Amino acid sequence: MDTPSLLQHFRTHDTPLVLSRGGDLAWDDAELHRSAGDIEGYALLALVPGALPWQRARVLLRTLAESRDGLDDRARATLAKVTRALLFGLPPEHVITVLLALRRLRANHKHVTRAALAFVLEHPDAGELIEARRPALVDCFEHALGKATARACARLVRAGDTGSGYLRRALLRFTSDPATAIERVRALYAPGTHGAIAPQEPPAPLDPVREHTPIVTPTNRGDIAATLVHLYRGGPAAELRPALAGYVAEATRGLPRLPANVAMVLDTSGSMRGYGEREWAVMSQAVALQLVLDRVCDRLTVIETGDADARGPDPVAGAAARGLDLAAGAGAGPGGGGGGGEPRPVGATDLASGLLDALESRPDLVVVVTDGYENLLPGDLARVAAALPRAGITTPVLLCQATFTRGDDLTLRDPAPALPGRPFWHQDDFAALLPWMFAHCAPGPDWIKAAMLARLEGGGVT
Amino acid sequence: MTARDTHVTGLDALLPVPLGLDGLDAYRAGMPQRAGALTMVPVWGPSRPGIVPPRSGLKLRRVVGYGQVELHNGAREGVAIVPLHIGYIQDAAQNHALCSSALLAAGQTRRFDDACCVQAGQGGYLEGRDQWFFVLPVELRGKATRLRGRQDYAKLWPDITALNRAYGLPSRGHLEQILSRERATLTQFQSRLELMPGQLGALFFVGDKFAGLELAPDPVYFAEMWMALVCFAYGVAAWRAEPEPAEAEPYDGTSLAGLRAELARDRAAWVERVASWMPAQDGDVRLVEEERYLDLRLSTVTAAHLTGQVVTEHDRLVYASVFADR
Repeated sequence: MDTPSLLQHFRTHDTPLVLSRGGDLAWDDAELHRSAGDIEGYALLALVPGALPWQRARVLLRTLAESRDGLDDRARATLAKVTRALLFGLPPEHVITVLLALRRLRANHKHVTRAALAFVLEHPDAGELIEARRPALVDCFEHALGKATARACARLVRAGDTGSGYLRRALLRFTSDPATAIERVRALYAPGTHGAIAPQEPPAPLDPVREHTPIVTPTNRGDIAATLVHLYRGGPAAELRPALAGYVAEATRGLPRLPANVAMVLDTSGSMRGYGEREWAVMSQAVALQLVLDRVCDRLTVIETGDADARGPDPVAGAAARGLDLAAGAGAGPGGGGGGGEPRPVGATDLASGLLDALESRPDLVVVVTDGYENLLPGDLARVAAALPRAGITTPVLLCQATFTRGDDLTLRDPAPALPGRPFWHQDDFAALLPWMFAHCAPGPDWIKAAMLARLEGGGVT
Repeated sequence: MTARDTHVTGLDALLPVPLGLDGLDAYRAGMPQRAGALTMVPVWGPSRPGIVPPRSGLKLRRVVGYGQVELHNGAREGVAIVPLHIGYIQDAAQNHALCSSALLAAGQTRRFDDACCVQAGQGGYLEGRDQWFFVLPVELRGKATRLRGRQDYAKLWPDITALNRAYGLPSRGHLEQILSRERATLTQFQSRLELMPGQLGALFFVGDKFAGLELAPDPVYFAEMWMALVCFAYGVAAWRAEPEPAEAEPYDGTSLAGLRAELARDRAAWVERVASWMPAQDGDVRLVEEERYLDLRLSTVTAAHLTGQVVTEHDRLVYASVFADR
């Protein structure tokens, strides 16, 4: 399975699954989905934040359509959890399309029955859904149980049966809430209501709900960066550093370790400081990413690309290729020049030399974090990156552009268009950024599986 | 030279000879930076303390009438060098630029009667609030220098109109069409190029042509001029000459060491190319003193294809703004 490509596809290919009036299923990327091996990893990949709903619907379709014969109990359990997360984490219309497609495909596996019944009988908005989409949901219900069984159950329910042996064997054994299930079945076969509107939103969204602020400032882009901004401004380190450590711990809680050597080329040129109302914002977000990577990666080597020679007498800020000490400089912040550990942005941007330095440590992955303004010299990074295969270097190199808002114009800020790249501006972006980065190195797919499983089990996903 | 060298000696030779200005041998040049069509060579040199910088010390007090601008040196001590061709922008008011530099003593207010309006047909006078300053685009600077002393607020409109037309913009005497409407693009030059620590000057090239030399009394003064110079004085011409992105041509190296060597070779060749863009000095450099304050002398420089103004003190350069002209 080509995890980076698949993840990129999940993030960008936004065409719906279409069922024609005749019931024919159309999905233009069916082959790509079918060719993805490791069904467990493939299913978990759909939970990576930023995957598009219609892509997740495709994953739900494929994982339900396929037999699970030959899978071990652990894999089956994982698939069951992912299925449930998708059933209630996708817009209901998407799920209905998937369930109708399964009917069309005559997918009659037990896990299909369980999924369809869970959706029809246990969906928190099932009442409204049944009102609005009764025929479709009846189809799904009858496909799950078989038409004759479904209708027999419905007749029994209409007759007042709440727990006969037949009803239990045929229907109620699939649900943990028999009373609610009976109500749903009664509603399914009741007269319809014309003009009812189906709920559009998923009851348990898969992606974390993001903070939406009308005006972006240097300090409303996540707690880590906000604290760093205050440190850069010369705020009280004794108060800010412990808080910073806490925010980093909070952001990385539950994330597995990546058993890899990751090199980060950190642009510490003058432009990363910014100016005016944006001063320190971009540098702080880049350092926030560094702090998170430092906690998650087994080994993180940081190569700063600002003009270290021009930094003057600050021995801490001038040190390159080092980790960060969150407890450093308790007496003063970096803005006050009192020995804080954060890089001080200054000088020109030489990303190409930074990349070559990074590759010396034979990393599993190189991440170039920059505002995208390369001036020493423009095009050098792209030329070095393009030359790597000929030099026998296959290390994946990624470009992460630190921006002030999600709407920044990046036209002049892409120093190496051929490199896989993603912008980020907010701490919330890390949830999608880390899986995207790690997908490119060998230990990455297992990390993604572990991280998504942790999300499933930690309550991050229903 | 290694790929990492940022303070090169190769360009030191640029400064003294070709521009023909005395006192340049005290300065040294650094590694050229590039952003699109704009190349900037940072310059370090001797600081002259005590000169009031333009943003924090010098204020536009008011526009007395069309073409009449009043500046004030609000510092308690120190003479202010008014940057050559400084202009002020404010919404809903006539934007003005000056045609010459000047020396303002501490606390002094001076009225410039030969300022030029850069916004034809816009009513209202600038007041000393909510304003930002620029330096005239290099294409207009030669003409503006020649028009110094002439009291005609509309004197630069034909040239602004021609500039707009050349840039495919409506033919009007509105410099605001470029400076304000393209501000989001132009101001990126202050990030695309990096101000270096201690830098107090720069050589600018647009494409492969020398565009200007700017020297400030000290790094603080230059830092306050940085945006006005890179974004407006030289950024406008570079914006119009922005090259299309080219596909990356891989280096030939077949190992990390090989790539490093290729990168260093490429950069050394680049420095040599930039050096070759300096204008040849043919003919005399003429300095005409315009005004003095104690030992400071403000003079206008003219040479073949170069114009500008410099401030000297005991034959030592304190300030220079010299640019390609015609």
